[in-house]
Amino acid sequence: MATTTEQRSDSEDAEDGVIAKWTKGVIGDDEKRARLYRALFYVACGFFLVTTLFPFYWLLVLALTPNSQILTGDWSLPVIGIEFPHPQGFNPQAFVEVFQQIPFHLYVFNSFVLATVTTIIVLLVASLAGYVFGRLDFPGKGPLMLGVLMVSYFPPAAFLIPLFDAFLGNAVVIPFLGIELFEPPRLVNTPGSMIMPFSALFLPLAIFILTTFYAQIPDGLEDAARVEGTTRLGALFRVIMPLSAPGVATAAVLTFIAVYNEYFFSSIMALENVPENWSPLVGGILSYQDQYTTDFNLMAAASIVGVIPILILVIVAQERIVSGLTAGGLKE
Amino acid sequence: MARVSLSNVTKRYEDVVAVDEMNLDIKDGEFVCFVGPSGCGKSTTMETIAGLTKPSEGTIRIGETDVTKLPPKDRGVSMVFQNIALFPHMDVYENISFGLRLRKYDQDEIDRRVDNASEIVQLEGMLDREPNELSGGQQQRVAIARAIVRNPDVFLMDEPLANLDAKLRVHMRTELQRLHKQLDTTIIYVTHDQAEAMTMSDRIAVLNAGQLQQIDPPLVCYNEPANLFVAGFIGSPSMNFTDGELVDGGLTTEHYDIEFDTTELGISPGDEITAGVRPEDIYLTRNEDEVDSSSEVIEATTDVLEPMGDEIFVYLSLDGTSGSSMTSDEAAGASNQLLMSVDPDTEIGEDESVSIVLDRSKIHLFDTASGDALAHGIVDLSEAERTRAAAESRGQHE
Repeated sequence: MATTTEQRSDSEDAEDGVIAKWTKGVIGDDEKRARLYRALFYVACGFFLVTTLFPFYWLLVLALTPNSQILTGDWSLPVIGIEFPHPQGFNPQAFVEVFQQIPFHLYVFNSFVLATVTTIIVLLVASLAGYVFGRLDFPGKGPLMLGVLMVSYFPPAAFLIPLFDAFLGNAVVIPFLGIELFEPPRLVNTPGSMIMPFSALFLPLAIFILTTFYAQIPDGLEDAARVEGTTRLGALFRVIMPLSAPGVATAAVLTFIAVYNEYFFSSIMALENVPENWSPLVGGILSYQDQYTTDFNLMAAASIVGVIPILILVIVAQERIVSGLTAGGLKE
Repeated sequence: MARVSLSNVTKRYEDVVAVDEMNLDIKDGEFVCFVGPSGCGKSTTMETIAGLTKPSEGTIRIGETDVTKLPPKDRGVSMVFQNIALFPHMDVYENISFGLRLRKYDQDEIDRRVDNASEIVQLEGMLDREPNELSGGQQQRVAIARAIVRNPDVFLMDEPLANLDAKLRVHMRTELQRLHKQLDTTIIYVTHDQAEAMTMSDRIAVLNAGQLQQIDPPLVCYNEPANLFVAGFIGSPSMNFTDGELVDGGLTTEHYDIEFDTTELGISPGDEITAGVRPEDIYLTRNEDEVDSSSEVIEATTDVLEPMGDEIFVYLSLDGTSGSSMTSDEAAGASNQLLMSVDPDTEIGEDESVSIVLDRSKIHLFDTASGDALAHGIVDLSEAERTRAAAESRGQHE
């Protein structure tokens, strides 16, 4: 029996083409299959590495190339002759000039503060909401969750004009009757006018993430914490939140990055593009451009400087995420 | 240390009543087991005592305080959970000291108490381990240490041994008893394992369908069950039940009659009653001398034998049909089947005709309709007449 099958497969091998032979090898031979998987892994890895890191490389090239060379320089590679971004000269001076021309560090500071405060507010409120949605049963839970979902689908621009009007400090008047209700504080040019809308806009996503994570924490752990001496709130912050660290870190990083890079709202809420008015990082980068000149190299250098705080944050948070994921399944 | 009393505690969920008008009084330092089938409300009752669930009605007192509306942390209770529920992000020391740290004890006191508690449960030298590095038994001991370290008034244990393997369970059972002796704290213990309930508790509370069936010391529950449910639930294998009818001067069932004095029962002939007898109270006629007061001889055929080592369970068929596909519990419930236990050295084979007698003093009578117990042990007619005659003659003398 065994010999006949071998003979058959031999004769088939002779008829097969190269690809068919190789396919059979991969299917039949474990070692070949392992080699194929390894190769595929490297190809996929390489692809993602290139697509994510190439923009940074390009930024670095632009930052190091003197501004005069950027538009006029010869971008073709020395020997091959293909046009490819590579440094034209070496001008690290740009990284210093960034801070000399405008107080760029103040813009970075503004964005950092806005992002930090927003993240804290979002995490606090979303934790409470996530606890309620994830762990309690109450009438109207579905519709409420749907409402949160609807807020997240709303285009932020739709809020802009009424918010701007409100933050200017204009009195709230009942339409047609002209009765003045109250005069809200003037919030433009203050962090409040930016943090409030950011928090509202980024809450739904954080609520969704935290709801799923908090729902997975076994009831027994919360009960144990409550019997041991915490309130429900105490159990949330002492047990449920630490055990959902990966989820909390994800929500925090997403919120922080989104606010840190935000420009649309803050450019309007800050009436002039100066750091004293809480103009954000992107506003700072754009101020290297004026009516007649654009300092591409400074903009590139500023972008790289601006990325550094995020880079540090993500590396720290990622350690947290990975450690949370590898700490093993949550056993009670 | 405190007594726990529940009065009229009811817990209703949307369409089910989990606990129905529960009245319980647990004495200071008592070890009480809640037993019952799944979904009988024993865990819910415990949760209402712990404060994790608010009762729909009724009041709960621990000591002299009404704790019905207090949050769990202010009730002076501690709890050990079925799924152990150690905090995975804390090491053993942090787990045990969690409650103390929340209550802002000073560090020396915390250290002293944690050392003491870990000594009691034999966990010395493991305080810096993570919960997932411990075995099941060690995790359970950490959970117990976490519960005792606060010197609670009442200990609540919700099937703490259910997730352990059989050998460890027996070991932990003894340790818990030792612990109870040492601490002398009120312990309320939920289990569905009646071996745990029988061996450990001062009193057993048998629950069914959210209602308390009986609360008595283990042997009272075993020997004098309050109703059909308790009789069937306590004891393994279960009690044999035979439906019958009360006639003048005895009981008649489909396959056998037993004569006894019915005058004291308080029901009239013609009423439906159920007779219950435990497997160990059925004897072969050749061993009849072991019984003080044996019943009429019943003819039966042996069906299946189950040698257990220390005894043999014999399935007896009263009408000659085989019921071999039945489990011991089903056999005990069927009226043409009896389950008997005999000594392991008894010479008995399958499909053999045997004569058996029942121990009169161990026959239980229940009202079939209500399930309530009517009598535990029945009196021989002749003996009853003798005592009555004696009483009468005494009456004449006076």
